[in-house]
Order: sequence, then structure tokens, then C-alpha cells
Amino acid sequence: MKAFTALVHREYIEHRGAFLIGPLILVAVLFGATILAFTVGRVDARFSGALFTVAPLRVYELGFLFFGLGWSLYMISVLFFYCADGFAADKRNNAMLFWKSMPVTDFKVLLSKLVAGITVLPGTVYAVALLSGLLLFGVAYVTMLINGTATVATLSSIVVIYGQVALAILVAIVCGLLWYLPMMALVGAVATAVGRWAIPISLLVPALVSTLEWVTLGGLHPFQTHTWRFIEYRGALPSTPYIESWSVSAESFNGVAFATDLIAHMDWTQVGIGVVFAIFVLYLASEYRRRVNDN
Amino acid sequence: MTDLSASTDLDVQPIVSARGLRKKFGRKEILHGLDFDIPPGRIYGLIGHNGAGKTTTLNAMLGLTHCEGTIRVLGEDPFAKRAKLMENVAFISDVASLPRFLRVRELFALLTNIHPNFSPEKARSFLEGTDIKPEMKVKHLSKGMVAQLHLAVVMAIDAKLLVLDEPTLGLDITYRKRFYRRLLEDYMTEERTLIITTHQVDEIEFMLSDIMFIRDGDLILHMQMETVNEKFTQLVVNDPAQHAAARAHGPVYEETRFGQTVMIFDGIDRAVLEPYGRLSTPTLSDLFVALMQRPTANPEAAR
Repeated sequence: MKAFTALVHREYIEHRGAFLIGPLILVAVLFGATILAFTVGRVDARFSGALFTVAPLRVYELGFLFFGLGWSLYMISVLFFYCADGFAADKRNNAMLFWKSMPVTDFKVLLSKLVAGITVLPGTVYAVALLSGLLLFGVAYVTMLINGTATVATLSSIVVIYGQVALAILVAIVCGLLWYLPMMALVGAVATAVGRWAIPISLLVPALVSTLEWVTLGGLHPFQTHTWRFIEYRGALPSTPYIESWSVSAESFNGVAFATDLIAHMDWTQVGIGVVFAIFVLYLASEYRRRVNDN
Repeated sequence: MTDLSASTDLDVQPIVSARGLRKKFGRKEILHGLDFDIPPGRIYGLIGHNGAGKTTTLNAMLGLTHCEGTIRVLGEDPFAKRAKLMENVAFISDVASLPRFLRVRELFALLTNIHPNFSPEKARSFLEGTDIKPEMKVKHLSKGMVAQLHLAVVMAIDAKLLVLDEPTLGLDITYRKRFYRRLLEDYMTEERTLIITTHQVDEIEFMLSDIMFIRDGDLILHMQMETVNEKFTQLVVNDPAQHAAARAHGPVYEETRFGQTVMIFDGIDRAVLEPYGRLSTPTLSDLFVALMQRPTANPEAAR
């Protein structure tokens, strides 16, 4: 376990730029943009719009949720690039033989890369999402105090909102990681063999399979097949009716209700199949790495 | 031409044992069924031309490639048990393979957790007196410094077998001398076995206990250095009249250097050769040239 943790740590060191420095720079940019938005009049700091008149604290909920969505998109896109890059890094850096001189199996090395991708990066992203929410809330609250639309008593409501949205972002990140795990593992496994070309190849292969199904089994066109429908289904997180109903109501955001709704709408059988698939393709990639001595 | 007197001792379990080791890349056979045993506590030189099969043989020992036949390292199948084997085997490959993104202290910290037999204290002590500092990144080190660091890393691993594949490639003579001196002074013990491949055979000759010459995938010489010195004789013939008589004893190699004829004999009594000229023991590079003669520069292509 000590060796495995060290391998995960080395992934963090190797990809510190994407895992930590990049998000921190983005937080700084977002913080600056938030201050500017509130100080140069881009945001209605008096919250005089119809919705804000009914629910004056909605700016906190929407702002933090928007940040959470943005950070989740950042995380998913960085994860796919990380898988394409990180799984091929040892070969590209000419360090393959060094790692092969260590008493760890190729499967353990590849598993550590995937685990780093689904723990270290999401952990950092969640932390900076919380930080960016804190900064947003700080700027908004100070602005409201200055223009007299908030009191010290408002603070307790804001803290509750922060906790509710933070819970929702956490559950969304965890569910998203579980849902997209097989895709990340597939990109990583393909990258073990073909390097950064893994992303286009991983996209091309399902399209080819769908085309083959259309050619052999028929259908309206290559994107009207069982394969393509499955890919579309697995490509999007399950929708949550709670968000749709909340967005048109004046109620406060309820993180627990959102989390329960999302968890209830997850296809857990597919998640389980995805985990098995991820382990299987990682095993195949490790066997490839074990047998092909590229250095 | 194999003299395995060192390895036929029944009490000594060989560190490496190969039988019928074959390797093909596509239709081209690189190793043609090698048989050898390497006993513990020896320093082996694995010597051959480019493409002779040295690195493939080493890769087979290190579990980096799968071969036909049987190979056992410390009693284990290296390809099947590479990870376990690496607890007791350390190696430096012929390419700069240290992770370039790490700082020296990060490298030592990671290895401490990854390798059960790595000692960071030893590694730091091996770097004392060098210009390598803990905060330096590997990618900012010169080629010589990377070699020093890599040597410090492998010497800090308490391994039974150390394999060095062209470890001093691209280094200047000062670094090369220092590299081998440190290896001998600070690492070698009776329990450890060292296998080195290099083209600079003269530089490692002084430290070798055994040699293996590999030519086009065949082991053509496997012998202890003492036996080599007894078995092979170099004769320098100054008198042209003696050429024919000396040649009648069947030299394995003959060449003309600065007007003198130099012959190398295998297994001929020195007393028999003495009347024809000046006798000496051939250097390893002379022996290498003598035994590695090939009919074409690339015999595989000619087959």
C-alpha cells in the first residue's frame, strides 16, 4: 500500500500543473472577475430583479452552483487529457525502464495513474470549487453589506446555502467520476499503446462499431443504432428532476434533495459494469506494457 | 567456447541460469539458444557488437522481454515474476531513464516508499562530494550528473544482482573512471553479482572476473578471466621467415600492425610459440577483435 500511495504521489508531482497550479490560477482569475463584476456594475448588486426580489439570496446559490458546474467540466476535460497523457508519460519521458526496475507490477503502475486521476485531481478541484465559492460569497456579502441589502443575520442563511451547494457539488463530482470511469480507463488504456492519440481513437472506435452495426444489422443511419444510443446514454449524466423544479421555484436550494435525486437516478448496474470494464481494460493495457519493451 | 568451472560447483546456486534461450523479432532470430550459468559474487562482462543480442539477453534476465527456452534469475522466471525479482535486482539501462520531472529529494522519497531495499541515507552518502544537490531537478542535471545520480540510486539498493547496460554511454573519461571506481569500492561484495555490457572493454577489463562474448546471438566465449589469460596467447612476429611456422599452429586471428604480424592463439602452449617471437596475454579488446570476426558486416541480412 505504501508503494501504491507513492506511485499516486509521483503522478501528482508529474502532473502538478494540471492537478494544482492550473486550478489555483483559475481561482485567482475567477476571484478577480468576481470582484470586477460586483464593482463595475456587471452584476445587479442591489438584486432588484424579479427573481431576486422574491429570493434575494439566490445569487449565492446560482453563483456557487455555476462555479461547481464550471469546475466539474474542467475536471472531466482535464481528466480525459490526463488519461491520454499520463498513461503514455513513462514511454514519452524515456523513464519506462526506470519504473520497470522498481518492484511494482505494470498493473499497479497503471492503476495508480487511474486512481490519481479520480482522487487527487477531483480532490483538488473540489477544494478550489469550495474556495471559489467562499470568495464569491465573501465578495457578494461585503457588497450587500455596503449597499445595505444584507445584515449580519443574513450570514447564517449564507452559511447554510454554502453547505447545501457544497454537498451537491461533492455528490455530483463523485457520481460523475463513477459514471465516466470506464471512458477514462479506456482512454488511458489506449494511451498506453498509442499515446496522446488515445482521445480521437477512443472516440473513433465507438463510431466505427456503430457504423459496423448499421452496415450489418441495418438502421436509418450510423447514428441510429443500438450502439450509438448506448454511447449517448453513457455519455451524459442522468438528469435530475429536482434541479428542473428548483430552478423555476423560489425555494432555497436543498443539497440533500439534489443528492438523493441524483443518486436515485443513477443506473448503478451500469456503474458496476463500468468498474469491471475499467479494471479489465487496465489489465489488458498492463499486459501490453509488460510485453512491449519500447525503450 | 565455454569454460564453466566457476559455475559447475554444485554447492553454488547460480544467480542466473539460461537454457536454450531464443528470441525472435518477427522472422529474425536474435538469440540462437543460449546456455549459461552465472554464479554469485562475480563481475561479468557481456561483450558483443551492436545488434549482437547483448541487450536482448539482459532484457530476458530482467523480465523485460519474453524468450523461448528457460531462464531463471535468483530461481525465479523473470518475465513472470519481474516485480518480485526487482526487490533483489537493480539495473541501469543504456538510455537516460531517470524521471526528469522529479527533484533529487523527491526521487529518494518516492524510492524509499516504493523499493523495500532502497536506503536514502546510502544514496545521499554516495552523492557527497558531487555537485548534485537535493533540490535539483533531474532535467537540469548534466549527462554525467544523471549517471552519477543513477549509480547512487542503484548502489543504495541492497540487491543481489546489478545489471549495467552501457552505463557510461556518452560520458567523458573522467566520469567513466569515477563511475567504475565507485562501483568497485562502494558496492561490490562477495554476495553481489555484477553484469556489465559496454563497448569500452578496456576500461572494465581490470574489474572483470568473467567474460561472455556474444556474436550474432550466439555465445562464443564464456570464461573466467584467469582461464582467458592462460588459454589465449598473443604472439608478435618480427621475422617474416617465422610467419609460416607460427601460422602452422592455427592462430584464431592474425593482423599486421606497423610492419609486425600479430597472431592470437587459443590453447597453444606458450613454450611452443616462444621461438617465433614476443609473447603476451592479449587484452580484452584484442581478444574481442580476434573472436568477433564475421564474414560480413551484417550476417543476418545475408542469411
